[in-house]
Amino acid sequence: MNKLLRDKKAIAIFVLPAFLLFTFILFIPICQSVYYSFCNYDALTKPKFVGLKNYKNLIIDPTMVTALKNSLFFLIFSCVSQLIMGLILAGLLTNIKKGRNFFKNVIYLPCVLSSAALGLLWMFIFSPKLGINQILQKFGMEGPLWLMDINGFIILPMWVIAFVALWQYVGQSMMLYMAQISGISTSLYEASYIDGCNRVQAFRYITLPLIKPMVGTAMSLNAIGSLKFFDLIFNMTEGGPNKMTHVLATHLYEQGFKYFKYGYASAIGTVLLVLCLIMTFLINKVFKSDDI
Amino acid sequence: MNKVVKFLIYLFLSITAIIYLAPLVWVFFVSFKTNKEIFTDPFGLPKSFFIDNYTFAWTAGKLGIAMSNSLFVCVITLILSLFLGSTVSFAIGRMRWKISGLVLVYFMTGMMIPVHCVLIPLFTRFAKIGLSNNLWGIILPYLTFSLPTTIFIMTGFFKGLPNELIESACIDGCNIYQIFLKICLPLAKTGLFVTGLMTFIANWNELLLAMVFISDDSKKTLPVSLSKFVGPYNTNYSQMFAAIVIAIIPTIIVYCLFSNQIVEGLTAGAVKE
Repeated sequence: MNKLLRDKKAIAIFVLPAFLLFTFILFIPICQSVYYSFCNYDALTKPKFVGLKNYKNLIIDPTMVTALKNSLFFLIFSCVSQLIMGLILAGLLTNIKKGRNFFKNVIYLPCVLSSAALGLLWMFIFSPKLGINQILQKFGMEGPLWLMDINGFIILPMWVIAFVALWQYVGQSMMLYMAQISGISTSLYEASYIDGCNRVQAFRYITLPLIKPMVGTAMSLNAIGSLKFFDLIFNMTEGGPNKMTHVLATHLYEQGFKYFKYGYASAIGTVLLVLCLIMTFLINKVFKSDDI
Repeated sequence: MNKVVKFLIYLFLSITAIIYLAPLVWVFFVSFKTNKEIFTDPFGLPKSFFIDNYTFAWTAGKLGIAMSNSLFVCVITLILSLFLGSTVSFAIGRMRWKISGLVLVYFMTGMMIPVHCVLIPLFTRFAKIGLSNNLWGIILPYLTFSLPTTIFIMTGFFKGLPNELIESACIDGCNIYQIFLKICLPLAKTGLFVTGLMTFIANWNELLLAMVFISDDSKKTLPVSLSKFVGPYNTNYSQMFAAIVIAIIPTIIVYCLFSNQIVEGLTAGAVKE
């Protein structure tokens, strides 16, 4: 049996197809992309090494600054809001019996739907004269230009999109927390109630510490998801008005596939990649440690 | 729990549920209205069921073709990713070789890498070898980006199978391929099913890669075709709503049928050992 399980030829047959695919479609292109980010490269020319030129242009590109700001806002907002809302929903749902499955399934539903389609829907709901503003008008109020207002450090459209993203994806965090909470033994809670804890205290001193590793997992999913964020923005604002709602992903798409600045877009991609790796590393460091 | 608290919890959850369902129910109703009705009376029930929006979206909007393209891409990706993913998982989870851990880590890094970073090199390479504007050109990256989750979940499943099974199969004279195909693969059916669902849904909704790689109208997938319904000079909302409904109805049906398995897949993919 040992011989059977150490069969080198079989292992190669099992692993190599996926391994080669992974190497050619993912690993080599990543390396190429990092290399291109140091090159002058567009649709007409061959890549030519120019050192840090693309990165120097990135720093002085106002759209890049906006995109980075918006992406970081998104990152922080979705990590914090999904943590809080996800925990509240999971906490409430594990405490009720009737209708638990119904509420759970309804809240998770948008996660599986096409965010391109939902983006179009929300674009309509937040358009200047229709949707929400039509309702507000009936009450004699004039609604703001939800997706076009450009005042403030974080402009209104970004908040709107961030809330839509929270609406769509909070179900995922909630599910993960619920799975972890339902794995906690009830005897722990019973013991704490005997010792005089109330439900809020039990949540604080038993549930929270025990789901800490899951918080890390859910948060790194959130962080990477929000850095990759593309569909909703593309269909709700396309980066406008005045390029104020660009995030890294939409900026990369526009530079790379509208203006065909491959080298420059690769530099944006590299920034994105580095941010993803840093966030994964940081979150793992903070949440996967053993101390409670 | 006292009654007031319970009431408040249910009140809060009900409001949340309404916030979740209202837009989806509304889009369904509004998709049967004429464009004029949308501007004058967007929130009432449609006066008559105006089906033309759907026929227009399906034929002139090319959603019919887009749907069959999406199905083709997703089914092929599903089958290939389950097969390639489970062979790797079997080798990692069950067979004995020195660098299996390292290979697993190599595949797992794929989870952290956003697809955006490989778009440009893949796009330029695929253009050279005739894979741009070709459905296989998006199947290959979809497959690659599905592998990490598939391998992660399936490795767990294979590791959990009892040793005795494989031992007895071995004594009965099975070779390693038979052990994989006839013993282990059928036993990992649940795992295959949940990972398959996850893969299918993720690829069904994918927009960016499909938008970059496919420019031919007759080869576009569903999420890409959707964005044609809006534009700075296009205000034909009624057809857009019909298109939205066409795009989300299949996933809603799949979700209603298999929500438990989808949840299982999600949590299995996230719970680290």
